Amino acid sequence: MTSTLIYLCGGVTLWVVGLHALLVQRHALRRIMAVNVMGSGVFMVMVALASRDAAVDPVLQALVVTGLVVAASATAFALRLATADPLDKNEPERK
Amino acid sequence: MSAALLSLLIPLISALVLLLLRVRVGGLVILANATSLGCAALALYQVVINGTQQLNLGGWETPLGIRFELGPLTALLLVFTALIHLLVAIYAQRSRHSQTRDTDFWPLSCLLHASLGALWLSRDLFNWYVTLELLGLVAVAMVILSGPRSHVPALRYLLLSLAASLCYLLGVALLYGQYGVLDIRALAGVTSNDQVTRLALLLLTLGLMVKAALWPLHQWLPAAHAAAPTAVSALLSALVVKGPLFILWMLWDNVAPAELARQAGIFFAVAGIAALVSGGLAALRTPWIKVLVAYSTVAQLGYALLALGLLLYWQDANMSIALWLFVIAHGLAKVSMFLAAGEMQATLGSRHVSALKGASQTMPVAMFAFAVAGGSLIGLPPSGGFVAKWVLLQPLFLEPARWPWALGVLLGTLASAGYVFRVVTIAFDRADPNPPDYDSDVSAQWLAMLPALIVWAMALMSEPLIEWFREVGL
Repeated sequence: MTSTLIYLCGGVTLWVVGLHALLVQRHALRRIMAVNVMGSGVFMVMVALASRDAAVDPVLQALVVTGLVVAASATAFALRLATADPLDKNEPERK
Repeated sequence: MSAALLSLLIPLISALVLLLLRVRVGGLVILANATSLGCAALALYQVVINGTQQLNLGGWETPLGIRFELGPLTALLLVFTALIHLLVAIYAQRSRHSQTRDTDFWPLSCLLHASLGALWLSRDLFNWYVTLELLGLVAVAMVILSGPRSHVPALRYLLLSLAASLCYLLGVALLYGQYGVLDIRALAGVTSNDQVTRLALLLLTLGLMVKAALWPLHQWLPAAHAAAPTAVSALLSALVVKGPLFILWMLWDNVAPAELARQAGIFFAVAGIAALVSGGLAALRTPWIKVLVAYSTVAQLGYALLALGLLLYWQDANMSIALWLFVIAHGLAKVSMFLAAGEMQATLGSRHVSALKGASQTMPVAMFAFAVAGGSLIGLPPSGGFVAKWVLLQPLFLEPARWPWALGVLLGTLASAGYVFRVVTIAFDRADPNPPDYDSDVSAQWLAMLPALIVWAMALMSEPLIEWFREVGL
């Protein structure tokens, strides 16, 4: 039980640190990383909740896998958006 | 149920076809939207005849499977979504100024349609998380269609939207950790008013309020909605912010413990009035046309929030009906307003409100559409906005103790009349009209007018609808 508690607290701490960084930081890359830290925090909470009993809860683990897919694609999109130069007139029109 | 599924699958399949074949044919999307509208109407008819229907996807029962539920409100929202998509798609294909011809607008709008359909049908906290993410990602991708200048507000929107999703997801994890179920119906019976539940509901509510741009978490909305191409702004304001609102309503109306819901109701109702006033004041001050319309969305969402708050506070089912009538009336009126504003802005060659000087003479149809849609936002009879406001006000007049809330509605009405008449007054200043850059495109202006006419026609159709909702519930 105690190890579950440690992971739970760790997850919540990560989430709070990520949120704080998102609100405080101004650089796009740092903010994207902050959102990822928040995501890791939530996934840690979910994994910790899944393994608190002897029989691991498959539903929560399935949710984490789905969440990871969403987080990875959202991060890729955010990175592309952040690295596009807003003043680049030659940027090809996306077709 | 199969008709409702078709209404969701047709846009999804057309999006995949457009993406795989690398074609951007607007006509195909219009056809898909029209078919989807037909299917949604059929689904609504089936619900009227047979009542609420359930579907367990793949034959898996809850808690493992995903349950879809087609109730009266879901069926109506499917029709509403398909109708808005059809109206906007016809405009986007027809107008010279829509900036969306032959672009990724077409597959993206289909994906948006499909995500919304899935959101209305889902009854499961995690499935809603997935649809919320889909909705957010598609919405941001649509905002950047207007070019590199929109990247900064789009990135801001994306990061806020992701953070809000993670806030929501943490709430879901806590609720699941406490009760071991995700299905809304299973949760409804077991929730108790303990600290974990309260914290979870707070996190869920915060996430959803950011996504729905509910006061005081609305700051991202005006920049993002105004930066998008006109057709996209219309979809974002009319539909995208309503998805999270639906989840918020479902959550508080079904899952939250009654005592907690009563306390939260006061907060929601006060936030709603604050949204009406602050959104209205911001719309009165802003110098930009599309920002004005976007702030009006913030203000109008205040009515929905007020109805939600009073619903929770008094447990009066009429408020749910008022809430969803507001959503539908606002959606239609706002499409009209954004399309008219975008058309005028492009033709008159300036984003400034003052550029509308004499627009009643140079672009009479677009200006008329703006005013007619504005009439519904103000709540002039016999528009859809008036009917919604009437349903909201009726229970308020029953007891003297409830009258102060009516004062809030009055303030909101004054504010919306203020920003609508601000535009109309400038447009009727015909002494020195601002000459248009191009010949005005009359048929595109009529397409902008169409949703406004439908919202006025809504007043005629809404009586049987309200009776039906009162009879069977939402």
